[in-house]
Amino acid sequence: MNGSPLGTSVPRKEDRRLVTGRGRFVGDLQLPRMRHVAFVRSPVAHARIVSLDAGPAREAGYRVFTQADLGGIVLRAQSALPSYVETGQPALAEGKVRFAGEPVAAVVAADRYRAEDGAELVDVDYATLPPVTVAWDAGAAAVHDEAPDNVLLERTFDAGDVDGVLAGAHLTVERELVTNRHAGNPMECRAGVALFDPADRRLTFWSGTQVPHLVRNMIAELLGLSEGNVRVVAPDVGGGFGVKAVLYPEDVALCAIALQLPGTPVKWVEDRVEHLAAATHARDHRYLLTAGFAADGTLLALRADVTCNVGAYSVYPWTAGIEPLMAGGLLTGPYKLEHYRATVRGVATNTAPSGPYRGVARPASVFAMETLLDDAAARLGMTGVDIRRRNVIRPEDIPYRMPSRLVDDSGHYDECLTKALDAVGYDELRAEQQRRRGTGESPIGIGFACYNELTGLGRAASAGPRMPFRTGHDACTVRVNPDGRVTVFSGVTSQGQGLETTVAQIVADALGVRYDDVDVRIGDTDASLWGFGAFSSRQAVIGGGAAHRSALAARSKVLRLAAGLLEVDPADLQIEDGVVAVVGSPDTTIGLPEVARVAYLESNRLPDGIEPGLEATEFYDPVRGAFAAGAQVAAVEVDRTTGAVRILRYACVEDAGRAMHPQIVDGQIAGSIAQGIGGALYEHLVYDADGNLSTGTLLDYLMPTSAEIPELTIGHVARPAANPLGVRGVGEGGTLGPNAVLAGAVSDALGVRIDELPLSPSVVWTAARRAAEDAGKTPVEPGGRHSD
Amino acid sequence: MKCAPFEYVRPTSVDEVLAALVAADGEGKILAGGQSLVPVMALRMARPAVIVDINRVEGLAAVERDGDTVHVGALVRHRTLAEQSAHPLLAEAARHIGHAAIRTRGTAGGSIAHADPAAELPVVAVATGATVTAAGARGDRWVAADDLFAGPLMTTLDADEMITGLDVPVPTRWGFAGFARRHGDFALVTVVVAEVRGQVRIAVGGVGAVPLRARAAEAAIGEPVERVAQLVGDELNPTGDLHGSAEFRRGVAVEMARRALASAGI
Ligand SMILES: Cc1cc2nc3c(=O)[nH]c(=O)nc-3n(C[C@H](O)[C@H](O)[C@H](O)COP(=O)(O)OP(=O)(O)OC[C@H]3O[C@@H](n4cnc5c(N)ncnc54)[C@H](O)[C@@H]3O)c2cc1C
Repeated sequence: MNGSPLGTSVPRKEDRRLVTGRGRFVGDLQLPRMRHVAFVRSPVAHARIVSLDAGPAREAGYRVFTQADLGGIVLRAQSALPSYVETGQPALAEGKVRFAGEPVAAVVAADRYRAEDGAELVDVDYATLPPVTVAWDAGAAAVHDEAPDNVLLERTFDAGDVDGVLAGAHLTVERELVTNRHAGNPMECRAGVALFDPADRRLTFWSGTQVPHLVRNMIAELLGLSEGNVRVVAPDVGGGFGVKAVLYPEDVALCAIALQLPGTPVKWVEDRVEHLAAATHARDHRYLLTAGFAADGTLLALRADVTCNVGAYSVYPWTAGIEPLMAGGLLTGPYKLEHYRATVRGVATNTAPSGPYRGVARPASVFAMETLLDDAAARLGMTGVDIRRRNVIRPEDIPYRMPSRLVDDSGHYDECLTKALDAVGYDELRAEQQRRRGTGESPIGIGFACYNELTGLGRAASAGPRMPFRTGHDACTVRVNPDGRVTVFSGVTSQGQGLETTVAQIVADALGVRYDDVDVRIGDTDASLWGFGAFSSRQAVIGGGAAHRSALAARSKVLRLAAGLLEVDPADLQIEDGVVAVVGSPDTTIGLPEVARVAYLESNRLPDGIEPGLEATEFYDPVRGAFAAGAQVAAVEVDRTTGAVRILRYACVEDAGRAMHPQIVDGQIAGSIAQGIGGALYEHLVYDADGNLSTGTLLDYLMPTSAEIPELTIGHVARPAANPLGVRGVGEGGTLGPNAVLAGAVSDALGVRIDELPLSPSVVWTAARRAAEDAGKTPVEPGGRHSD
Repeated sequence: MKCAPFEYVRPTSVDEVLAALVAADGEGKILAGGQSLVPVMALRMARPAVIVDINRVEGLAAVERDGDTVHVGALVRHRTLAEQSAHPLLAEAARHIGHAAIRTRGTAGGSIAHADPAAELPVVAVATGATVTAAGARGDRWVAADDLFAGPLMTTLDADEMITGLDVPVPTRWGFAGFARRHGDFALVTVVVAEVRGQVRIAVGGVGAVPLRARAAEAAIGEPVERVAQLVGDELNPTGDLHGSAEFRRGVAVEMARRALASAGI
């Protein structure tokens, strides 16, 4: 290849193995003497453990571990926020169970079948306690003694004079909105193999994690091991979406079991039933909102009360604050607003813990914000487009300090929206909508969402729940091998998003070598120095920045060495496709293989003052973050007789900054929109009143398939961000739109309010029927009230 | 999600299957396509002591037309059913079953025996007045579809009986309409209308314990379609569930009945 591979859709490095079925996932790992673990899980939501009898299982020859056998390890997620109530999550439940599916004991056997046979022999006697599953149920029994009211964290964002401005507003809109609990559901469930080698007291943990370095740090601390003796390897990982950014009790139990079975690898591969019951959930929120608008549609003030169901435990290490704080910090999204007061809280219940899930809270909070705008627009006789245009942050407002004090550095929302409108053929759709009115045909509706995705957060960005670590930096090592080819040891991790490719492109570009000559090793804490891993759309910005910087540092040494060999000034040299040449005299060249050979093998030729070796390691921290602007527009057709929603057109335009690999960028956007559509239309984790998960298999928990996802039109406005590569994260933004877009479109089609998600046929059918009944009585009257 | 231990036998004739079932003394289960049985075994909700795999039994995989009836062997795969042209209604129904992988394995006999109230083939069997052939230690018997389904996942067959095939009348006019949340899902409601030997029969799946005949609606055939469809809904007694309220199910049933009647040209 000639020239830089950056910015082109080069073939992905990982595809050779992934698309030919040669991926190496934790489940594929086979080691001598390997044993398999099955967990005994609580069948009830809330209970005292009266007794646990492992005798029969042990007599039948199984190894059984309880919390006492593991030394009582407890995970305590920490936050310095003043209202945070710290609680503990035991590796295996002891004394009490707090959600159906919580691990209570672990059974080790020769294979998974037998391990499950053994698990059936463990006899646990539960005395049930009253469960709470809904976070806004008052007077519920306490899940943790430390938090009698179940509130694990509460914080108020407060800016301006909300009450005064609301009192004087031309229009106030009040809404109560409830979003549906759902989860990432990666294709590969959680999985781990742990092996303790007693000879040198080393623990190796192969884990399908998004955050291997963090896992190493946490496992070493929890198990009292020297961190250098813990190696965490994340091989190929089949999707994560945040669910695998958590350290789970099962992970800790598996490693603790390995310590007790020296030399015996223990394997646990989660099945889908376990995953739905016990991996983290998300997005179970209620929003109580009052917004004030001027007659021209200007948003004046917003008062919000947000309750997030954080489940039974404060998830490790992210805490119960992850969703509520994100919801409060970004509720106002890309809209200018001065007067804002939001109280957000995380409430414990007897349900699976909530954790980070692609888009963290914002698919719900964007739905809340956009619903307010649509409601106000309807009441003011404006279009959804006009009210958004009136309120969005504009390029000239940048940097814009949001009322939550986050600083938006994007601002191209109107441009994104305009392009998305063009892509769906907005005017034509409006005409078609008009034509259908009064005919018997199914109505169509159009919905919108504008959003700002906070990506690549550096140390100064304070959106996190003040945990005892800051996730702003990553490291990367670029090594030019003796043959002149390059191996990169990067701290990034990949769950399918092609990081090996992206890092190779960045290094090839910055170092001046061919893409094919760069190999990238990721996911092994023994190989790379440091990386926080995949979350918060951070890796392209931060891990990419580290790769860029270390490649530049390696390049500088290559040039110094080459300059010595060619007896020219390094400033006169350039390197392209692995050939160092003197600028202006193209015949004077030296190849990288020769330079590298000298660096490692021919020290006799080393120029004065240059040490052997050709390697550089650098960190990068962007300090601030990069916002990515986005807008989505869709048209739907609603079948009033069944409540079915058919997506006719769907467009998304984002500011991804500089797209390093356009196909990967579009893939990220398409995948996240598909996931968002799943959340908007299908996915719903439902607990019954006893706290049993009613949607315990994929028969009832409906994931979208390719048949449900429409053609997506993806467009870009590429405004480089202020970081070395000019990139903005694109991993999550797509998920932010679909709830708002599809709810808005259904609401537009039927002239109804949508107060709950998902937009199941039943919800839509019921709304359509209500609308028809209301039409018979009074004119359609969406929510809210005029203040006059 | 791993099965509890079980014995496995793979006979090659119906007689051997029956002998194996008798020997298992009520603890045996036939394995056909495995698309319903294996998942419930993996969840340990079914724990048969003996699995009697019938996939090697000869002569049960044919679709044959005999006058105005089509004979479907118990081991005919949904995929074969979807591709045959002897019985267009069965083909249409089979196309609605699950996904390609499931249709490739799943069998007609298995679907009938499994008696899922939301499954397509049982509704077609009831709507057309099909007859099921059950082989048992005491010989064959013939059970009308109307008498076969006893409740959700329950039939009137004995544990040591085996379905060898079904005879499905070919309707002169028919309509099929189902509503599922996603492509390939079990339908929330399926309505099949079939005119067989001059009589119109209507069966509804997904809203009761078994596929239901809509007899009042059948009696009203000839009245406007909207009215007949409404009668289908009135006769049902749906319950609310995860996917929606009872009223929603009834509403969708009325609409599916309307569509099925309209496409039957009735
Ligand atoms: C993801 C998924 C989606 C599906 N979607 C649909 C759908 O939309 N519609 C639908 O109708 N079905 C659906 N199915 C079920 C599928 O059609 C099954 O194939 C069918 O219900 C059972 O047929 P089988 O041959 O697989 O039977 P098996 O699973 O082998 O057996 C099912 C039961 O029938 C018994 N049995 C099997 N054969 C006989 C026989 N000859 N005599 C007596 N007893 C017998 C078995 O002992 C067992 O109790 C779906 C399945 C899956 C996994």
